[in-house]
Amino acid sequence: MNIPKQPINQRILKYLITVLIVAGSIWSASGLEITPERFLTAPSKVWILVTAMFPLDLSQEAIDRIVPKVGESLFIAWAGTVIGAIFSFPISFLAANNVSLNSFSRATKQVLNVIRAFPELILAFVLLPITGLGPLTGTLAVGIHSIGTLGKLSSEVIEGIDEGPLESIKSSGGSKLNELFFGVIPQVMPTITSYWLYRFEINLRASAVLGVVGAGGVGAELINQLRFRDFPRAGTVLVVTILMVLIVDTISAAIRRRIIKGREIKV
Amino acid sequence: MIKVPKKPLPSLLTVIGYPFAIALTIFSFFQVGFNIEDFKRNWENRKLVTDTLFNPKWEWAIENASQALLETIQIAILASILGCFIALPLSFYASRATNQTTVTYLIYKSFLNFIRTIPDLFWAMLFTVAVGLGPFAGVLALVMFSMAIMGKLLSETIDSIDLGPLEAAKASGAKHNQAVFTSALPQILPNFTAYFLYIFELCIRASVILGLVGAGGVGRIIETQRIFLRFDRISPIIVLILVAVIAIEQFSVWLRRKIL
Amino acid sequence: MIEFKNVSVTYPGGVKALNNVSLDIDEGDFVIIVGMSGAGKSTLLRTVNNLVKPTEGEVIVDSRNVTNASKKELKIIRSDIGMIFQTFNLVNRSSVLKNVLTGRLSQVSSLRSIFGLWPKDDKEIAFESLNKVEILEKAYVRGSNLSGGQQQRVGIARALAQKPKVMLADEPVASLDPITSRVVMKYLKEINQELGITTIVNLHFLDLAKEFGERLIGLKDGELVYDGKVNDVSDKDFENIYGRAIKSSDLLGDDD
Repeated sequence: MNIPKQPINQRILKYLITVLIVAGSIWSASGLEITPERFLTAPSKVWILVTAMFPLDLSQEAIDRIVPKVGESLFIAWAGTVIGAIFSFPISFLAANNVSLNSFSRATKQVLNVIRAFPELILAFVLLPITGLGPLTGTLAVGIHSIGTLGKLSSEVIEGIDEGPLESIKSSGGSKLNELFFGVIPQVMPTITSYWLYRFEINLRASAVLGVVGAGGVGAELINQLRFRDFPRAGTVLVVTILMVLIVDTISAAIRRRIIKGREIKV
Repeated sequence: MIKVPKKPLPSLLTVIGYPFAIALTIFSFFQVGFNIEDFKRNWENRKLVTDTLFNPKWEWAIENASQALLETIQIAILASILGCFIALPLSFYASRATNQTTVTYLIYKSFLNFIRTIPDLFWAMLFTVAVGLGPFAGVLALVMFSMAIMGKLLSETIDSIDLGPLEAAKASGAKHNQAVFTSALPQILPNFTAYFLYIFELCIRASVILGLVGAGGVGRIIETQRIFLRFDRISPIIVLILVAVIAIEQFSVWLRRKIL
Repeated sequence: MIEFKNVSVTYPGGVKALNNVSLDIDEGDFVIIVGMSGAGKSTLLRTVNNLVKPTEGEVIVDSRNVTNASKKELKIIRSDIGMIFQTFNLVNRSSVLKNVLTGRLSQVSSLRSIFGLWPKDDKEIAFESLNKVEILEKAYVRGSNLSGGQQQRVGIARALAQKPKVMLADEPVASLDPITSRVVMKYLKEINQELGITTIVNLHFLDLAKEFGERLIGLKDGELVYDGKVNDVSDKDFENIYGRAIKSSDLLGDDD
């Protein structure tokens, strides 16, 4: 009986991947001088830190310092997302190869790739000498990065539309502009707006971190408290941040679901 | 006269949502503070920045930052591998399709959700305090980061798999875990690979920053140079990272084409 | 009303979809075109509003040369020609009303339409069109929430809203069940008779063609092989058009 063997190519590929993964891990771990026992002792050390944070510092002073900063992170994230949404929208049409010319779209996509590649923190770095310490820098950093990611995602949505309705508009004497506003935009808006909201959720985390370099938000608070070993206060910062992120995530997810599903009109 | 139907009232979301969004936008922009005076003053600095930024000092970077760059890449490799492979079984427990026990399902799902709420740099800060400064803290932070993302993506994928093969396996007497291993796991492997490559790329970008809080990698160097406005030394480092990121992106596209 | 003068269409890649077709259609005619898939029915229809430009020959609609019209003239010509499609081509996320209003786009300024400020008259026309196909009550329902037959009715309403002189229907019932198909064909026939709109319908169901058609055109391999009254058509003629014996898949049948 001739039992067929798994095709050679597939086997080699699987073998290669496994070797790559194992070798990669070992090489990295040894380069970083990380041994398995460090992983085993880590949880208990983390636990020590966690217990040191309780009871949380809920004094008026702490609240007065922390809550405005957390709010600042929220505003940075929102303003940055708005910037990202507004600018990425027209750019995404330029980048879509079914709406704009091929050469244009390729060029725009490359520009977007370059913008996307810079983490928000690095952007904040570059902006700091120009726009100074404070939330404005954070907003611009978040905003610019968002233009890159949203631009790419939105252009992909535009490229995936059904061309049928466009044909019908064209056949009834509509112009290219009509095709755009009545054929393309209604099809892409739900998905694109849900991407905007998702971006807001992610930007919230990014903006929390920007404070570390002085670009506004709650990151500076946390690192200061940790440096001064004020663990209860650091714990408060964490808890408040987590709460805000959870609330925003939940509301945003609910809105996104509703946007995608759409409204039921009963007749 | 024809009976024209009434136009439906705008939905609750529209009535509350739009005004709220606009108000929030205006308020945010004020809060974030666009101060013309400050801006004008600092605009002078822009020449300084652009002069240095576009004048990369490659030799300096290669001489002084190579070790750190290597560290950065190694952190990303180790963390993404560990994080993603730990998240693999966790995701099965966090998905309704493969975990019928409500209690454990909720525990795992909440755990994954909880991890997602803490930004990567926060994890790094916490770990530097817990296990000390250095790349180990960075690795742990990114393990959390990877677990969080892989957990969410993978559990959502598992939620929408074809349950047919799973039922068939159980019907032929397989135990639950065996059934999942043989019938559900293969279905999601292509997705797992795609997500892994995506997360690996994210980890490389994230690990550049870890050094800012002392968690290893090239971030430390970037920070020190930044204070002295030596963007001419920072830009080559960034470019090298970008090259690495693009290389991985190309590789993953190639790999995905091979697999699919 | 519609004249095809030696129309040939060769697609890039060498496929010759239409070969020297000449045809005259009078105002108010109800014409059904039959033929196998790939015989050129869709292409022929699309030369009428120049969605497909003939490589040779020309098409005249209402004394205007469609084939060589400028972009501006083409828009005006197209606004007098309504078209409905096999896949309905509704914008799924938009309401029925908004879909029908796209039929009025050529008559309304871009700025007004973008902001949804449709003139009252145009809205009236839209409502009347919806009423004609008996689906007015669903005006604010989303396109995707309708059944196939209802969506096609909206498609007809959209074409009607243009106040067209010509109606083109490209396999309008191919994805519908027998009962719904007959309802849609009934509307097309009524519109033709009551409003005098010249109508061309592509079908591949022979029994439907016989049931509703007046004049029948047969296409085979891009060439005109039959042109006559529906009542004069015999099974042998059909076999000529199709190049083979009639199969059950060529008949719509009735609902069981």
